Amino acid sequence: MRSTSNAVEFDHVSKHYGAVLAVDDLSLSIEPGTTVALLGPNGAGKSTSINLLLGLLLPSSGAVRVHGGTPAEAVRAGQMGAMLQNGALIPELTVKELIDLVRRLYPDPLALDELLSLADLTELAGRRAGRLSGGQAQRVRFALAVAGAPRILLLDEPTAAMDVESRLRFWASMHDYAAGGRTVLFATHQMEEADEHSDRVIVIARGRLAADGTAAQIKADAGGQAVSFVLGEQPAAGLDRLPGVTAVEVAGGTATLHTSDPDATLDGLYRGTALDVRGLTLTGADLEAAFLQLTRESR
Amino acid sequence: MIHFARADIVRMLRNRRYLVFVVAFPVALYLINANIYGDETAGSGLGYNVILMVSMAAYGALASSMMSSAVPLATERQSGWLRQLQITPLPSWAVIVAKISTALALVLPSLLLVSVAAVVQQGVSLPPGRWVALLPAMWLGTVPFIALGLALGSALSADAAQPASMVCMFALAIAGGLWFPPEIFGATMKTVAELTPSFHYASLGWSLAGGHGVDAMDVLVVAGWAVVLGGAAAYLYRRATVRG
Repeated sequence: MRSTSNAVEFDHVSKHYGAVLAVDDLSLSIEPGTTVALLGPNGAGKSTSINLLLGLLLPSSGAVRVHGGTPAEAVRAGQMGAMLQNGALIPELTVKELIDLVRRLYPDPLALDELLSLADLTELAGRRAGRLSGGQAQRVRFALAVAGAPRILLLDEPTAAMDVESRLRFWASMHDYAAGGRTVLFATHQMEEADEHSDRVIVIARGRLAADGTAAQIKADAGGQAVSFVLGEQPAAGLDRLPGVTAVEVAGGTATLHTSDPDATLDGLYRGTALDVRGLTLTGADLEAAFLQLTRESR
Repeated sequence: MIHFARADIVRMLRNRRYLVFVVAFPVALYLINANIYGDETAGSGLGYNVILMVSMAAYGALASSMMSSAVPLATERQSGWLRQLQITPLPSWAVIVAKISTALALVLPSLLLVSVAAVVQQGVSLPPGRWVALLPAMWLGTVPFIALGLALGSALSADAAQPASMVCMFALAIAGGLWFPPEIFGATMKTVAELTPSFHYASLGWSLAGGHGVDAMDVLVVAGWAVVLGGAAAYLYRRATVRG
């Protein structure tokens, strides 16, 4: 099973803090060039996993490998870049000075101008880091993370302090960087981010692997989609026989049809019944329901 | 790494608190005191304008060593900047070497400005040989204070490091006789002074400025403190940043 071609490998990794088990027998591997979302609720072990990957923490048991070597070796070789939570800047230095300072620590960094434009900071280059807004500071931290042109980029809840526009710009920058065949792993507790910006989603809860696959697979596996409409006084009989339906709930005059195929269910609802369908809503069409179900199951 | 140390220096020079307390304050204090007592001559035959020059240069160097080490290190540790550096190829020993180099470089402005003020305003004139011995001795003699600052910065939070380094700095300045001439000390105070690195550090300066050569005891005490505090700093820094 062991393969040195993987960018990242967790081999039965556990990490305790005293009596608290933050990561519990986690095994996974990530191929080079993929963009992976590490999805989980707060306290699921996302930050611990990232710190283990960077060698900032050592596993209590098991092994973490980065391109076949130890995390410390990968860091020393300049292969890793990361945006950690609470990574501060030096307030007295300008954006340009900070980025240049960090990129010079790497053997084969990106050019300064390239970094400034990648992180959308060209206009802020001369500003002192102490005078940046939250979103601007995050962009600087992204630039610091990619300054050394790392093969593996780790982002721990990167958009936490950003407004909507900053987020859009941020993900655009991330995709630009990932497009060069680099491996990106980002932690998030927001399903839309995982859904929209990754090739693969790894769901962890309570330090354990809860699900692993593309966003579509995870949604399908959890069967988290549902069609709801106002049923009123009409009979519910026959709804469970509509195509795709796995379960029917009727409460307060509203029918909820859990389905593995909402398109087929809707088609059946309109064409195959004489019901007057009003107030139709589709829920769980994103990862949210799947995610909640997965993290609930692992408790 | 040189670039890294340089950025650290640039950053401190932009810090207003550093400039006021460490660079301007000793010079101002020297000018005030020297203009009051400067014409008098001590028992050793050395003019007070020279004695005060050494005291104030020593005070400035002491303040600078501690201010440019303790609080910045504690802040960087706490804010996550050190972690950001830990995930770059920069080896962790290089961070501490850069911190020492930065602190040493930042001692120079206070040391040199007090000397320049003494020469220009007080007409202090020493043979070139004495300057050549005095300034490097006072420069390198700051190592124990830098080590103390780094030890505090490794052990304490940024909020605690600020007052702790201030207290240590004032205690060392007063006990070492940098603010009041040690001759006026009582017996107990003299015994305390004899134990401090700051007294022996200044004493080294007074001897060299007076052309009396070097007292081996001064060198031993300063070097001894440098080893002890350096060891403490290394231990505490490792404990603060080690991967566990």
